[in-house]
Amino acid sequence: MTGSMPLVTLEHVQRLYLLGATIITALEGINLTIKRGEFVAIWGPSGSGKSTLCNLIGALDQPTAGNVFLDGQDIACMSDDRQSELRNCSVGFIFQDFNLVPVFSSLENVMLPLILRGEDERSSRDKALEMLKAVGLAAEARRFPDKLSGGQQQRVAVARALVTNPPLVVADEPTANLDSENAARIIALMRQLNQSMGTTFIFSTHDQDILHQVQRKIQLHDGRIMQDTGNNP
Amino acid sequence: MFTWFKLAFRNLLKNKRRSLVTLGAVAFGFAAINLLGGFSNYIFDALEDGYVYARGNGHLSIFKKGFHRQGLMNPASYLLNQREVEEISAFCRRDQRISIITPQLNISGLVSNGKISTIIMAEGRKPDDMRAIRHLGHGFSRKLQLFHGHELSDKPIYQVGVAKGLAGNFNLKIGDSVVVMTTTADGFMNAFDADIVQTLDAPLEILDNLLVSMPLRFAQELYDCKGADRLNLLLENARLAYPMKKYLEQQLTARNFKVEIYTWDQLRPSYLKIRNMFNVIFTFVFIIMLTIVALSVVNTISMAVLERTREIGTLRALGLKRSGVVKIFSIEGTLLAATGSLCGFILTLLGWAAVTILQPSWTPPTIPKEVPLEIHLVPWLMAVTCLAMIVLAALAAFIPARRAAHLRIIEALRHL
Repeated sequence: MTGSMPLVTLEHVQRLYLLGATIITALEGINLTIKRGEFVAIWGPSGSGKSTLCNLIGALDQPTAGNVFLDGQDIACMSDDRQSELRNCSVGFIFQDFNLVPVFSSLENVMLPLILRGEDERSSRDKALEMLKAVGLAAEARRFPDKLSGGQQQRVAVARALVTNPPLVVADEPTANLDSENAARIIALMRQLNQSMGTTFIFSTHDQDILHQVQRKIQLHDGRIMQDTGNNP
Repeated sequence: MFTWFKLAFRNLLKNKRRSLVTLGAVAFGFAAINLLGGFSNYIFDALEDGYVYARGNGHLSIFKKGFHRQGLMNPASYLLNQREVEEISAFCRRDQRISIITPQLNISGLVSNGKISTIIMAEGRKPDDMRAIRHLGHGFSRKLQLFHGHELSDKPIYQVGVAKGLAGNFNLKIGDSVVVMTTTADGFMNAFDADIVQTLDAPLEILDNLLVSMPLRFAQELYDCKGADRLNLLLENARLAYPMKKYLEQQLTARNFKVEIYTWDQLRPSYLKIRNMFNVIFTFVFIIMLTIVALSVVNTISMAVLERTREIGTLRALGLKRSGVVKIFSIEGTLLAATGSLCGFILTLLGWAAVTILQPSWTPPTIPKEVPLEIHLVPWLMAVTCLAMIVLAALAAFIPARRAAHLRIIEALRHL
């Protein structure tokens, strides 16, 4: 299910890094539009710029040149606080290493984005529990991350990413630290939530086995888009 | 807010050893400050009680105006005469804030043991009033007896107490007779035999070879007058000293009495010097302890920031603002300080209890006797210390926290 209005637009985006005296071109000449409800994989070899692209889309980083628009808003024009608010309301993140807060239980981890938004404890707790049910982990609500398997931790991370009902979820190599069975489960869960909630998913991967489940694939190589299978101008 | 307190508390528990070290620094710092403060407070109270009650000087002294500038050269002209003593005393007795009012006459002269004479400075006081003032004292000052032998009394009046140094130098003992000589207010020589009934501990070393105490009536007979050079007032409440001084100055002036009134600490400059010295020592200790606490907190929070860099990146990605990062670590610092202060409070109580139970004794500089060593519990100091620790810890946490808040999110997320 896709919408007609673009959710994410990148115009002539370039990202350079200074490594000592050397300038590294992570991304060059990126023009990209992603519509609401899309399920997009960004793939390519190591060093192709996948993570950099995900970071720019998720407002975790700023382009050296060009513009990144999220829901019609130019991220570069925003203050740091405004970007934080945007990420909290409009973007959910799933990380390669799960990045759960170790001293919080599964439920408390899922509640975090709601607490950051200013919601009260009770309503945050209820919504977080609903989200844990949706990913099949309601029974593990009180468990701490060190007592969960990798697959379970990533499912908690998926719940955390979706608890605020954001229009966009950005996942940087969400299956890299999972075995193939769990990796497939996570991708299937993301796909199911994309279809049931209409959330746009953009994730990076170098795993070819996952790609056949994805309609739109954007191939990166040396910081440039080589191929975009679902791009219909 | 509760979530951040939970995060802070659990992270402190997670790193028990590091948290305990910082907690210990705060606790011992708190206890050191308050035990030293409590000891200083005891010293100040003991000095005050020693002068006011044990020595019977009261809180205020009323003199004839000009006594302190010209009275030394011409004492007779600056005496309060009998009428003034009676009227001022009657006025003061009507005020419930004044517990006791007692006249005093100081004279100088000679004492002779029959073979040789020496200069003396004599204090003429009412023995009953001295006893009454002493009994209204607090703590050890009530029981402190600064003489050996009998208490002075008015029957008969021809009795004296001599300072121990004076007694030792002239081989004077309790029961001996001496001749006390002085000039009268009119300038004539006068002398009386007197019995030594006590040897006394002089308040200052300089007086140990000079001081003689006697009943007021004996001093008045020697000086051939019915007046006094001062009236000493003991107040119901020591805090009223300055307000009462001002009040009495106004009231007595309005009644045409030409007087000057001094508080006990104005007449005892050494008290202020001792107090200032203790305050300087205390300030040093306070600063040193706070510095130790600050460094400890900075170290703990810096380590926490380093270890949780990725967590900071994650929280920032989820929408935590920079100010939120600072808040999280400031809460951790504050929690350390608050818990440390609570432990410090318990340590202070234990220290106080140990001293109270064991009752060590010591000989303070101004009292030539062993007295019990005490530590007072000073609630306002504990509150100030706790507040200072908390504020300092929050500020100490601010430095590493601010650095953490300005980390680039993607660099924080990549941190191992």
